[in-house]
Amino acid sequence: MKKQFLLPTLAVLGLLFFQGTSKKTTDSENSLHVMEADMPANVKAVVDQKCYGCHNAESKNEKGKKKLDWDAFEASKRSKQLAAKGKILEVLENGDMPPAKFLENKPEGKLTESELATLMEWSKSKKK
Amino acid sequence: MKWGLYLLGGLSVILIGIQFVPNNLPTVETANPGDIIASGIVSDDVAAILKTSCYSCHSNESIYPWYSYVAPSSWLVAKDVREGREELNFSNWQDYDMMEKLEKLDDITIEVGEGTMPMGIYTLMHPTASLNDVQREKIIAWAEDAMDVVLEEEDEEGDEE
Ligand code: HEC
Ligand code: HEC
Repeated sequence: MKKQFLLPTLAVLGLLFFQGTSKKTTDSENSLHVMEADMPANVKAVVDQKCYGCHNAESKNEKGKKKLDWDAFEASKRSKQLAAKGKILEVLENGDMPPAKFLENKPEGKLTESELATLMEWSKSKKK
Repeated sequence: MKWGLYLLGGLSVILIGIQFVPNNLPTVETANPGDIIASGIVSDDVAAILKTSCYSCHSNESIYPWYSYVAPSSWLVAKDVREGREELNFSNWQDYDMMEKLEKLDDITIEVGEGTMPMGIYTLMHPTASLNDVQREKIIAWAEDAMDVVLEEEDEEGDEE
């Protein structure tokens, strides 16, 4: 008997979950912020628009913040930056970021081809 | 009463039955010339922690306790070791290139810092593998230093060429 309720309940929970997560990210997305001048401006512009919302020191997206924090990026030492770049290149190559679930609700968050190329080229370089 | 007995009987049959499913535990290999500890980048005290707390899943030297041989826990162990080795295998350290080494070390600082590694299920079964704050900080400090060492080694090699 109970099984009949299980699916609808799960569906409702699922909906709540998605709403919760997408709201969280839009909250932080609008925040204006300053980044140091080290990163090339074109790279920074893409990051600001497409990645920063989830990956910053104040992000409510705990998982995203834990894996990558742009606020910490420029102040960190070279080995840390290289490690971050390596991971960024990997997620870009796999098309994992921004997360597919997030794009379902916000298709305009997807990287355009030229944005993707900009980020890829930058993350491949071993300089700052 | 009767129902209870049937249920128990049924469960026993299933439990015995699943013992015949192969467990596919990843194989153990003790000779690992590319091991991270052998490479000299790990201090002795950190090496000891890695051995007790990480090597069962993140090296070819997995030590399989009794429950690894009993289904269904054997399946879980096999899965964790397989996936653990895939993500990070200390035994094959020298096979990683510089970027991979940096990424893995950085991941270690994150996972150990957040307390997500070693996996909770493992420390539940092996309390000695759980890390206290001092040990966590030791690993993180070591991994941070090791990242610089890895980078310097690469830079030096680059200069020689
Ligand atoms: C909607 C929020 C969101 C956006 C936007 C987003 N990310 Fe992420 N990112 C996450 C989450 C959540 C994780 C953690 C995923 C996990 O742990 O499975 C993550 C993880 C990562 C990781 C770590 C991967 C790993 O396994 O080590 C990198 C690198 C990354 N993101 C880069 C980016 C880049 C580059 C962009 C912009 C093009 C971006 N992210 C945009 C939420 C986001
Ligand atoms: C019970 C087995 C087990 C033990 C013990 C264990 N790990 Fe893991 N580890 C895993 C598995 C499985 C994964 C891959 C899946 C995941 O990320 O949860 C993993 C993933 C990782 C990753 C990669 C995470 C990422 O984001 O890519 C790191 C780094 C790591 N472990 C470090 C450690 C360290 C350091 C220790 C010891 C202090 C340790 N692990 C102990 C099973 C284990």
